[in-house]
Amino acid sequence: MSLLPRLPCFARQFSSSAARFLATPVDKKPVLNKEFKIYRWNPDEPAKKPTLQSYTIDLNQTGPMILDALIKIKNEVDPTLTFRRSCREGICGSCAMNIDGQNTLACLCRIDRKEGKDTKIYPLPHMYVVKDLVPDLTLFYKQYKSIKPYLQNPEPPADGKEFLQSPEDRKKLDGMYECILCACCSTSCPSYWWNQDEYLGPATLMQAYRWIADSRDSHTAERKEVLQNEMSLYRCHTIFNCSRTCPKGLNPALAIAKIKMELAAD
Amino acid sequence: MASSLLASTSKRALARRSPAFAKPFLAARPATTQSQSDALYVPGGPIYKGTVNDPTTFPEPSRAHGSHHWSFERLLSASLIPLTGAAFATSPSVHPVLDGLLGVSLVVHSHIGFDSMVVDYLHPRKWPVIGRIATWGLRTATIGVLIGVYQFNTNDIGLTELIAKVWSA
Repeated sequence: MSLLPRLPCFARQFSSSAARFLATPVDKKPVLNKEFKIYRWNPDEPAKKPTLQSYTIDLNQTGPMILDALIKIKNEVDPTLTFRRSCREGICGSCAMNIDGQNTLACLCRIDRKEGKDTKIYPLPHMYVVKDLVPDLTLFYKQYKSIKPYLQNPEPPADGKEFLQSPEDRKKLDGMYECILCACCSTSCPSYWWNQDEYLGPATLMQAYRWIADSRDSHTAERKEVLQNEMSLYRCHTIFNCSRTCPKGLNPALAIAKIKMELAAD
Repeated sequence: MASSLLASTSKRALARRSPAFAKPFLAARPATTQSQSDALYVPGGPIYKGTVNDPTTFPEPSRAHGSHHWSFERLLSASLIPLTGAAFATSPSVHPVLDGLLGVSLVVHSHIGFDSMVVDYLHPRKWPVIGRIATWGLRTATIGVLIGVYQFNTNDIGLTELIAKVWSA
């Protein structure tokens, strides 16, 4: 109760724009211009070829990440620039794009502040483009659905409550359940570029193994059986682009190697 | 049932009312809404099998194309290393079987490698003519080379000795 009248004075102390309350003026930050070259394609003008459009913004008036720069460009320079974003902290996987030749999440990628160096931003490679930086992920989601990414166990547990799992069995899922399905790994894989209609790709295969490795799931044999063909799994040639590019630091190539070992041991 | 009946009656009504307009309209419809069709073709766009909510399908499971193929390929690749060493350590004229085994293994190993390239880049589902030419061309070449290796190892000096000779020449 007694705190309430004092609140405004606290608020002023924590205010980020304190500079205007100071007696002496603070030096304005110097201008640090940087050029962003961004892939543009508009489906409403299908005759026009895709182009790289150049935007120059002041980095000292921008947040540290590529996503901050994109939002600043959309807000202040060109509202027609189109991209996906949601959480801005690397947990939703919406802002996956190709930044300076590397598939990554724009929200987890720092802007290179080196002077005189531009940054090129493209949509995820070898995907159909909906508009600008927005790729069509329909097939990716259809493939994810095909591996039945849910617990399959018709036998309910004895106590009727929940499926129990030992800490060791739970540990097998670490490094796989964290996947946010941003499609960075799948779209970095040359095998997925050439054969994505048949080959599942690293993200989907790692989720397939996440359910094969789950001790609570009883359909392990069926899950393995569907991969027994030339295309779905064995188009992986251990190129390792997937593990290299994963913005979450996961290792899809290891999961695929484990599937291959388990299928060979069957 | 009711909706399809409604759709069919309304189509018929439309056709009765203005046949000049309805004909191309009805002809175009099955191409875009057919759900039993395997592949939906959208000009310039992606080709999806089924609707966007259907999962993709898997080919018939076959261990010969799956895990057995992979295990055979890996075991063959691994066994080529000691095989090569053994063939060069021993005399090919004393151990012609070892020499022949090395020749056959090398040819099969490269056949699997080339076949993988054909499947990756010239799969018959995308290249119905060139893909089949490549597949059968590769098979013909492999059989030809196998016959050649057999002739060379039985009638001439054999693979290992040839490489040893070229090496020291």
